[in-house]
Amino acid sequence: MLNTQKISCQRGRQLLWSDVNLTVDPGQLLFVSGANGSGKSSLLRILAGLSSPNSGDIFWCGEKITVDTIMYRSQLLYIGHQPPLNPELNAIENLIFLTQLHGQKVGQDQMVSALQFWELQGKTITLPTKHLSQGQKQRVALAQLSLLEKKIWILDEPFNSLDSSGSNIISKQLEQHLAQNHLAVITSHLHEKAAHIAPSLQQREIRIEF
Amino acid sequence: MTPISSTNILLTIFKRDITLAIRRGSDTCGAIFFFVLVVSLFPLALGSDTKLLQQIAPGIIWVSALLAVMLSLSRLFNDDFQDGVLEQLALSVCPLEMITFAKVIAHWCYTGFILLLISPILALQFNLPSHSIQVLFIALLLGTPTLSFIGSIGAALTVGLKSSGALISLLILPLLIPVLILGTLAVDAAATNMPYSVYLYLLVAYGVLSSFFAPIASASALRIVLD
Repeated sequence: MLNTQKISCQRGRQLLWSDVNLTVDPGQLLFVSGANGSGKSSLLRILAGLSSPNSGDIFWCGEKITVDTIMYRSQLLYIGHQPPLNPELNAIENLIFLTQLHGQKVGQDQMVSALQFWELQGKTITLPTKHLSQGQKQRVALAQLSLLEKKIWILDEPFNSLDSSGSNIISKQLEQHLAQNHLAVITSHLHEKAAHIAPSLQQREIRIEF
Repeated sequence: MTPISSTNILLTIFKRDITLAIRRGSDTCGAIFFFVLVVSLFPLALGSDTKLLQQIAPGIIWVSALLAVMLSLSRLFNDDFQDGVLEQLALSVCPLEMITFAKVIAHWCYTGFILLLISPILALQFNLPSHSIQVLFIALLLGTPTLSFIGSIGAALTVGLKSSGALISLLILPLLIPVLILGTLAVDAAATNMPYSVYLYLLVAYGVLSSFFAPIASASALRIVLD
Protein backbone atom coordinates (compact mmCIF):
# COMPACT_ATOMS: atom_id res chain seq x y z
CA MET A 1 0.00 0.00 0.00
CA LEU A 2 1.33 3.36 -1.05
CA ASN A 3 0.06 6.40 0.77
CA THR A 4 0.94 10.01 1.22
CA GLN A 5 0.34 12.34 4.14
CA LYS A 6 -0.26 16.01 3.46
CA ILE A 7 2.39 16.34 0.79
CA SER A 8 2.82 19.60 -1.02
CA CYS A 9 4.90 20.66 -3.96
CA GLN A 10 6.46 23.97 -4.80
CA ARG A 11 8.20 24.81 -8.03
CA GLY A 12 10.20 27.99 -7.85
CA ARG A 13 8.05 30.32 -5.79
CA GLN A 14 4.79 28.89 -6.98
CA LEU A 15 2.91 26.45 -4.80
CA LEU A 16 1.58 23.83 -7.23
CA TRP A 17 -0.54 21.83 -4.83
CA SER A 18 -0.67 21.14 -1.12
CA ASP A 19 -2.18 18.79 1.47
CA VAL A 20 -2.48 15.85 -0.89
CA ASN A 21 -3.49 12.70 0.95
CA LEU A 22 -3.56 9.62 -1.21
CA THR A 23 -3.91 5.93 -0.59
CA VAL A 24 -3.29 3.44 -3.35
CA ASP A 25 -4.15 -0.11 -2.28
CA PRO A 26 -2.79 -3.22 -3.95
CA GLY A 27 -4.65 -3.84 -7.18
CA GLN A 28 -5.50 -0.19 -7.63
CA LEU A 29 -4.55 2.26 -10.32
CA LEU A 30 -4.03 5.88 -9.42
CA PHE A 31 -4.84 8.05 -12.37
CA VAL A 32 -3.49 11.58 -12.20
CA SER A 33 -5.05 14.14 -14.49
CA GLY A 34 -4.82 17.87 -14.79
CA ALA A 35 -3.86 20.70 -17.08
CA ASN A 36 -0.35 21.20 -18.41
CA GLY A 37 1.91 22.51 -15.70
CA SER A 38 -0.44 21.58 -12.89
CA GLY A 39 2.14 19.34 -11.28
CA LYS A 40 1.21 15.84 -12.47
CA SER A 41 4.76 14.87 -13.30
CA SER A 42 5.98 16.49 -10.09
CA LEU A 43 3.66 14.24 -8.09
CA LEU A 44 4.99 11.19 -9.91
CA ARG A 45 8.59 12.19 -9.33
CA ILE A 46 7.86 12.75 -5.66
CA LEU A 47 6.16 9.37 -5.37
CA ALA A 48 9.17 7.77 -7.07
CA GLY A 49 11.48 9.44 -4.57
CA LEU A 50 13.29 11.44 -7.24
CA SER A 51 12.26 14.76 -5.73
CA SER A 52 11.27 15.40 -2.17
CA PRO A 53 7.98 17.07 -1.28
CA ASN A 54 8.10 20.48 0.37
CA SER A 55 6.19 19.06 3.29
CA GLY A 56 4.59 15.77 4.21
CA ASP A 57 5.70 12.16 3.86
CA ILE A 58 5.21 9.19 1.59
CA PHE A 59 4.74 5.74 3.02
CA TRP A 60 5.15 2.35 1.42
CA CYS A 61 3.68 -0.50 3.51
CA GLY A 62 3.55 1.81 6.50
CA GLU A 63 7.17 2.86 6.34
CA LYS A 64 8.54 6.17 5.05
CA ILE A 65 10.15 5.63 1.65
CA THR A 66 13.20 7.60 2.75
CA VAL A 67 13.97 5.08 5.49
CA ASP A 68 14.91 2.14 3.30
CA THR A 69 15.26 3.70 -0.14
CA ILE A 70 17.04 0.72 -1.68
CA MET A 71 14.20 -1.61 -0.66
CA TYR A 72 11.63 0.84 -2.04
CA ARG A 73 13.53 1.24 -5.29
CA SER A 74 13.78 -2.53 -5.69
CA GLN A 75 9.96 -2.61 -5.86
CA LEU A 76 9.59 0.42 -8.08
CA LEU A 77 9.66 0.99 -11.79
CA TYR A 78 9.49 4.63 -12.85
CA ILE A 79 9.37 5.62 -16.49
CA GLY A 80 9.37 9.38 -17.07
CA HIS A 81 7.75 11.20 -19.96
CA GLN A 82 10.90 10.62 -22.00
CA PRO A 83 11.95 7.02 -22.77
CA PRO A 84 15.27 6.58 -20.90
CA LEU A 85 17.24 5.25 -23.85
CA ASN A 86 20.70 6.07 -25.03
CA PRO A 87 20.52 6.99 -28.74
CA GLU A 88 23.80 5.23 -29.57
CA LEU A 89 22.78 1.85 -28.17
CA ASN A 90 20.23 -0.47 -29.71
CA ALA A 91 17.03 -1.61 -28.03
CA ILE A 92 18.53 -4.80 -26.60
CA GLU A 93 21.62 -3.04 -25.24
CA ASN A 94 19.47 -0.35 -23.68
CA LEU A 95 17.21 -2.91 -22.05
CA ILE A 96 20.13 -4.98 -20.75
CA PHE A 97 21.48 -1.83 -19.14
CA LEU A 98 18.14 -0.70 -17.69
CA THR A 99 17.22 -4.10 -16.26
CA GLN A 100 20.66 -4.54 -14.73
CA LEU A 101 20.36 -1.14 -13.08
CA HIS A 102 17.38 -2.63 -11.28
CA GLY A 103 19.62 -5.45 -10.16
CA GLN A 104 18.09 -8.09 -12.39
CA LYS A 105 19.72 -10.08 -15.13
CA VAL A 106 17.36 -10.92 -17.96
CA GLY A 107 18.27 -13.35 -20.71
CA GLN A 108 18.58 -12.03 -24.24
CA ASP A 109 15.90 -14.37 -25.63
CA GLN A 110 13.53 -13.13 -22.95
CA MET A 111 14.30 -9.60 -24.04
CA VAL A 112 13.67 -10.37 -27.69
CA SER A 113 10.32 -11.94 -26.86
CA ALA A 114 9.35 -8.96 -24.69
CA LEU A 115 10.17 -6.65 -27.60
CA GLN A 116 8.20 -8.92 -29.93
CA PHE A 117 5.27 -8.61 -27.57
CA TRP A 118 5.53 -4.87 -28.14
CA GLU A 119 5.56 -5.55 -31.90
CA LEU A 120 9.23 -4.70 -32.30
CA GLN A 121 11.37 -7.17 -34.18
CA GLY A 122 13.98 -7.60 -36.86
CA LYS A 123 15.98 -4.51 -37.66
CA THR A 124 14.26 -2.21 -35.19
CA ILE A 125 15.83 -3.98 -32.23
CA THR A 126 19.36 -4.00 -33.61
CA LEU A 127 19.44 -0.41 -34.87
CA PRO A 128 20.73 2.32 -32.56
CA THR A 129 17.63 3.80 -30.94
CA LYS A 130 18.36 7.23 -32.46
CA HIS A 131 16.94 5.79 -35.69
CA LEU A 132 13.66 4.74 -34.07
CA SER A 133 10.48 6.78 -34.03
CA GLN A 134 9.17 8.29 -30.81
CA GLY A 135 6.51 5.63 -30.52
CA GLN A 136 9.00 2.83 -31.06
CA LYS A 137 11.27 4.28 -28.38
CA GLN A 138 8.34 4.42 -26.01
CA ARG A 139 7.64 0.76 -26.75
CA VAL A 140 11.25 -0.21 -26.00
CA ALA A 141 11.10 1.63 -22.67
CA LEU A 142 7.77 0.04 -21.81
CA ALA A 143 9.12 -3.42 -22.57
CA GLN A 144 10.72 -3.15 -19.11
CA LEU A 145 7.24 -3.58 -17.62
CA SER A 146 7.13 -7.28 -18.46
CA LEU A 147 10.86 -7.89 -17.97
CA LEU A 148 11.13 -6.63 -14.40
CA GLU A 149 8.97 -7.95 -11.60
CA LYS A 150 8.05 -4.76 -9.84
CA LYS A 151 5.17 -4.08 -7.47
CA ILE A 152 4.84 -0.38 -8.14
CA TRP A 153 4.67 1.11 -11.59
CA ILE A 154 4.92 4.87 -11.90
CA LEU A 155 4.42 5.82 -15.51
CA ASP A 156 4.38 9.38 -16.78
CA GLU A 157 2.24 9.63 -19.90
CA PRO A 158 2.68 5.99 -20.96
CA PHE A 159 0.15 6.42 -23.77
CA ASN A 160 2.11 9.28 -25.27
CA SER A 161 3.13 8.77 -28.88
CA LEU A 162 1.75 5.23 -28.88
CA ASP A 163 -0.62 4.21 -31.65
CA SER A 164 -3.86 2.36 -30.91
CA SER A 165 -2.28 -1.09 -30.90
CA GLY A 166 0.43 0.18 -28.57
CA SER A 167 -2.15 1.64 -26.19
CA ASN A 168 -3.92 -1.69 -26.38
CA ILE A 169 -0.82 -3.54 -25.23
CA ILE A 170 -0.16 -1.23 -22.33
CA SER A 171 -3.78 -1.42 -21.18
CA LYS A 172 -3.47 -5.19 -21.15
CA GLN A 173 -0.21 -4.99 -19.24
CA LEU A 174 -1.77 -2.67 -16.68
CA GLU A 175 -4.73 -5.01 -16.29
CA GLN A 176 -2.44 -7.97 -15.72
CA HIS A 177 -0.32 -6.01 -13.27
CA LEU A 178 -3.31 -4.91 -11.21
CA ALA A 179 -4.77 -8.41 -11.27
CA GLN A 180 -1.59 -9.60 -9.54
CA ASN A 181 -2.43 -7.21 -6.70
CA HIS A 182 0.31 -4.80 -7.62
CA LEU A 183 -0.32 -1.10 -8.03
CA ALA A 184 0.30 1.57 -10.62
CA VAL A 185 0.28 5.33 -10.89
CA ILE A 186 -0.14 6.89 -14.32
CA THR A 187 -0.83 10.22 -15.94
CA SER A 188 -2.28 10.63 -19.37
CA HIS A 189 -4.26 12.93 -21.60
CA LEU A 190 -5.62 10.01 -23.56
CA HIS A 191 -7.22 8.26 -20.68
CA GLU A 192 -10.69 8.06 -22.15
CA LYS A 193 -9.25 6.00 -24.96
CA ALA A 194 -7.46 3.72 -22.52
CA ALA A 195 -10.56 3.16 -20.47
CA HIS A 196 -12.42 2.30 -23.61
CA ILE A 197 -9.88 -0.38 -24.44
CA ALA A 198 -9.69 -1.91 -21.00
CA PRO A 199 -12.94 -1.49 -19.10
CA SER A 200 -11.60 -3.37 -16.11
CA LEU A 201 -9.05 -0.61 -15.57
CA GLN A 202 -11.88 1.75 -14.75
CA GLN A 203 -13.14 -0.32 -11.84
CA ARG A 204 -9.73 -0.44 -10.25
CA GLU A 205 -9.02 3.20 -10.75
CA ILE A 206 -8.89 6.10 -8.33
CA ARG A 207 -8.59 9.55 -9.71
CA ILE A 208 -6.90 12.68 -8.61
CA GLU A 209 -7.24 15.92 -10.47
CA PHE A 210 -5.17 19.02 -10.09
CA MET B 1 15.47 -13.51 -14.37
CA THR B 2 18.17 -13.65 -11.71
CA PRO B 3 19.20 -10.96 -9.24
CA ILE B 4 22.70 -9.56 -9.64
CA SER B 5 25.05 -7.94 -7.18
CA SER B 6 26.04 -4.28 -6.93
CA THR B 7 29.48 -5.10 -8.27
CA ASN B 8 27.93 -6.47 -11.43
CA ILE B 9 25.75 -3.39 -11.79
CA LEU B 10 28.85 -1.21 -11.55
CA LEU B 11 30.62 -3.39 -14.09
CA THR B 12 27.67 -2.99 -16.46
CA ILE B 13 27.79 0.80 -16.09
CA PHE B 14 31.53 0.79 -16.67
CA LYS B 15 31.22 -1.35 -19.80
CA ARG B 16 28.38 0.76 -21.15
CA ASP B 17 30.32 4.00 -20.77
CA ILE B 18 33.36 2.48 -22.47
CA THR B 19 31.17 1.17 -25.32
CA LEU B 20 29.60 4.60 -25.73
CA ALA B 21 33.01 6.30 -25.74
CA ILE B 22 34.15 3.94 -28.49
CA ARG B 23 30.99 4.43 -30.58
CA ARG B 24 31.02 8.20 -30.27
CA GLY B 25 34.76 8.54 -30.49
CA SER B 26 34.61 12.32 -30.39
CA ASP B 27 35.20 12.58 -26.62
CA THR B 28 38.38 10.58 -26.60
CA CYS B 29 39.66 11.85 -29.95
CA GLY B 30 38.97 15.46 -28.98
CA ALA B 31 40.94 15.13 -25.78
CA ILE B 32 43.83 13.32 -27.47
CA PHE B 33 44.08 15.75 -30.39
CA PHE B 34 44.02 18.68 -28.01
CA PHE B 35 46.71 17.11 -25.86
CA VAL B 36 49.00 16.21 -28.78
CA LEU B 37 48.55 19.57 -30.51
CA VAL B 38 49.14 21.76 -27.49
CA VAL B 39 52.16 19.78 -26.34
CA SER B 40 53.67 19.74 -29.84
CA LEU B 41 53.18 23.45 -30.43
CA PHE B 42 55.54 24.46 -27.65
CA PRO B 43 58.76 22.99 -29.09
CA LEU B 44 57.80 24.52 -32.45
CA ALA B 45 57.22 27.95 -30.98
CA LEU B 46 60.11 28.02 -28.53
CA GLY B 47 62.83 26.80 -30.88
CA SER B 48 65.46 24.18 -30.31
CA ASP B 49 66.97 25.27 -27.02
CA THR B 50 67.14 21.79 -25.49
CA LYS B 51 67.83 23.01 -21.99
CA LEU B 52 64.81 25.26 -21.94
CA LEU B 53 62.60 22.55 -23.42
CA GLN B 54 63.73 20.00 -20.87
CA GLN B 55 62.96 22.44 -18.12
CA ILE B 56 59.45 23.34 -19.20
CA ALA B 57 58.42 19.91 -20.49
CA PRO B 58 56.84 18.50 -17.30
CA GLY B 59 54.80 21.64 -16.75
CA ILE B 60 53.56 21.76 -20.33
CA ILE B 61 52.60 18.10 -20.43
CA TRP B 62 50.78 18.34 -17.11
CA VAL B 63 48.91 21.52 -18.00
CA SER B 64 47.88 20.09 -21.38
CA ALA B 65 46.72 16.83 -19.80
CA LEU B 66 44.69 18.75 -17.25
CA LEU B 67 43.01 20.91 -19.89
CA ALA B 68 42.40 17.92 -22.17
CA VAL B 69 40.67 16.01 -19.38
CA MET B 70 38.59 19.05 -18.57
CA LEU B 71 37.45 19.37 -22.19
CA SER B 72 35.94 15.91 -22.07
CA LEU B 73 34.21 16.35 -18.72
CA SER B 74 31.15 18.28 -19.82
CA ARG B 75 29.55 15.16 -21.28
CA LEU B 76 30.20 12.90 -18.32
CA PHE B 77 26.67 13.23 -16.93
CA ASN B 78 25.08 15.62 -19.41
CA ASP B 79 24.18 13.03 -22.07
CA ASP B 80 22.52 10.78 -19.51
CA PHE B 81 20.66 13.76 -18.15
CA GLN B 82 19.34 14.74 -21.60
CA ASP B 83 18.29 11.16 -22.39
CA GLY B 84 16.51 10.69 -19.07
CA VAL B 85 18.93 7.90 -18.11
CA LEU B 86 20.19 9.88 -15.11
CA GLU B 87 16.80 9.43 -13.42
CA GLN B 88 17.12 5.70 -13.85
CA LEU B 89 20.65 5.80 -12.43
CA ALA B 90 19.32 7.69 -9.43
CA LEU B 91 16.56 5.08 -8.97
CA SER B 92 18.89 2.10 -9.29
CA VAL B 93 19.16 -0.37 -6.45
CA CYS B 94 22.85 0.48 -6.44
CA PRO B 95 23.69 3.73 -4.59
CA LEU B 96 24.29 6.71 -6.86
CA GLU B 97 27.68 7.33 -5.19
CA MET B 98 28.95 3.97 -6.42
CA ILE B 99 27.47 4.52 -9.87
CA THR B 100 29.31 7.85 -10.08
CA PHE B 101 32.49 6.07 -9.03
CA ALA B 102 32.09 3.54 -11.87
CA LYS B 103 31.38 6.31 -14.37
CA VAL B 104 34.47 8.25 -13.30
CA ILE B 105 36.70 5.18 -13.60
CA ALA B 106 35.31 4.65 -17.10
CA HIS B 107 35.95 8.32 -17.89
CA TRP B 108 39.57 7.93 -16.81
CA CYS B 109 39.94 4.86 -19.05
CA TYR B 110 38.80 6.69 -22.16
CA THR B 111 40.62 9.96 -21.49
CA GLY B 112 43.35 10.04 -18.82
CA PHE B 113 44.61 6.55 -19.50
CA ILE B 114 45.02 7.19 -23.22
CA LEU B 115 46.75 10.51 -22.60
CA LEU B 116 49.05 8.61 -20.28
CA LEU B 117 49.90 6.12 -23.00
CA ILE B 118 50.93 8.76 -25.53
CA SER B 119 52.73 11.04 -23.09
CA PRO B 120 56.15 9.26 -23.37
CA ILE B 121 56.16 9.81 -27.12
CA LEU B 122 55.35 13.48 -26.67
CA ALA B 123 57.99 13.79 -23.96
CA LEU B 124 60.60 12.73 -26.52
CA GLN B 125 59.95 15.98 -28.38
CA PHE B 126 61.33 17.82 -25.37
CA ASN B 127 64.45 15.69 -25.27
CA LEU B 128 63.61 14.50 -21.76
CA PRO B 129 66.01 11.85 -20.42
CA SER B 130 64.48 8.41 -20.18
CA HIS B 131 64.58 8.45 -16.40
CA SER B 132 62.44 11.61 -16.32
CA ILE B 133 60.05 10.10 -18.85
CA GLN B 134 59.56 7.13 -16.55
CA VAL B 135 58.79 9.37 -13.61
CA LEU B 136 56.47 11.49 -15.76
CA PHE B 137 54.62 8.33 -16.75
CA ILE B 138 54.24 7.20 -13.16
CA ALA B 139 53.19 10.69 -12.02
CA LEU B 140 50.55 10.85 -14.77
CA LEU B 141 49.37 7.34 -13.88
CA LEU B 142 48.88 8.40 -10.27
CA GLY B 143 47.56 11.89 -11.00
CA THR B 144 45.18 11.61 -13.93
CA PRO B 145 42.53 9.58 -12.04
CA THR B 146 42.38 12.48 -9.58
CA LEU B 147 41.65 14.84 -12.49
CA SER B 148 38.65 12.70 -13.45
CA PHE B 149 37.43 12.31 -9.87
CA ILE B 150 37.57 15.98 -8.97
CA GLY B 151 36.37 16.90 -12.45
CA SER B 152 33.25 14.82 -11.91
CA ILE B 153 32.15 17.23 -9.17
CA GLY B 154 32.25 20.09 -11.66
CA ALA B 155 30.51 17.99 -14.29
CA ALA B 156 27.75 17.05 -11.84
CA LEU B 157 27.25 20.64 -10.68
CA THR B 158 26.88 21.92 -14.23
CA VAL B 159 24.59 19.18 -15.57
CA GLY B 160 21.88 20.67 -17.76
CA LEU B 161 23.67 23.94 -18.41
CA LYS B 162 24.23 24.94 -22.02
CA SER B 163 27.85 26.09 -21.91
CA SER B 164 29.17 24.16 -18.98
CA GLY B 165 32.81 23.95 -20.12
CA ALA B 166 34.00 27.29 -18.79
CA LEU B 167 32.08 26.92 -15.56
CA ILE B 168 33.53 23.46 -14.90
CA SER B 169 37.05 24.89 -15.24
CA LEU B 170 36.28 27.73 -12.86
CA LEU B 171 34.82 25.36 -10.30
CA ILE B 172 37.44 22.67 -10.24
CA LEU B 173 40.74 24.24 -11.33
CA PRO B 174 41.58 25.41 -7.80
CA LEU B 175 41.15 21.85 -6.56
CA LEU B 176 43.38 20.47 -9.31
CA ILE B 177 46.33 22.79 -8.71
CA PRO B 178 47.89 20.44 -6.08
CA VAL B 179 47.94 17.64 -8.67
CA LEU B 180 49.63 19.93 -11.15
CA ILE B 181 52.26 21.11 -8.67
CA LEU B 182 53.05 17.66 -7.30
CA GLY B 183 53.13 16.11 -10.77
CA THR B 184 55.59 18.64 -12.16
CA LEU B 185 57.72 18.68 -9.02
CA ALA B 186 58.14 14.91 -9.22
CA VAL B 187 59.47 15.09 -12.78
CA ASP B 188 61.67 18.11 -11.99
CA ALA B 189 63.15 16.32 -9.00
CA ALA B 190 63.85 13.24 -11.11
CA ALA B 191 65.57 15.38 -13.76
CA THR B 192 67.93 16.86 -11.17
CA ASN B 193 68.54 13.46 -9.52
CA MET B 194 66.77 14.49 -6.33
CA PRO B 195 64.45 12.16 -4.38
CA TYR B 196 61.05 12.36 -6.02
CA SER B 197 59.07 9.61 -4.30
CA VAL B 198 57.59 11.98 -1.73
CA TYR B 199 55.72 13.82 -4.50
CA LEU B 200 54.37 10.57 -5.84
CA TYR B 201 53.18 9.54 -2.37
CA LEU B 202 51.43 12.86 -1.99
CA LEU B 203 49.83 12.40 -5.41
CA VAL B 204 48.53 9.01 -4.30
CA ALA B 205 47.25 10.47 -1.04
CA TYR B 206 45.40 13.21 -2.88
CA GLY B 207 44.03 10.65 -5.32
CA VAL B 208 42.75 8.38 -2.55
CA LEU B 209 41.13 11.32 -0.83
CA SER B 210 39.44 12.52 -4.00
CA SER B 211 38.28 9.03 -5.00
CA PHE B 212 36.45 8.80 -1.70
CA PHE B 213 34.93 12.27 -1.45
CA ALA B 214 34.35 13.19 -5.10
CA PRO B 215 31.70 10.50 -5.81
CA ILE B 216 29.80 11.54 -2.69
CA ALA B 217 29.88 15.19 -3.73
CA SER B 218 28.95 14.41 -7.35
CA ALA B 219 26.08 12.16 -6.32
CA SER B 220 24.56 14.80 -4.08
CA ALA B 221 24.99 17.40 -6.82
CA LEU B 222 23.18 15.08 -9.27
CA ARG B 223 20.35 14.53 -6.77
CA ILE B 224 19.92 18.29 -6.46
CA VAL B 225 19.76 18.60 -10.24
CA LEU B 226 17.07 15.92 -10.44
CA ASP B 227 15.04 17.31 -7.54
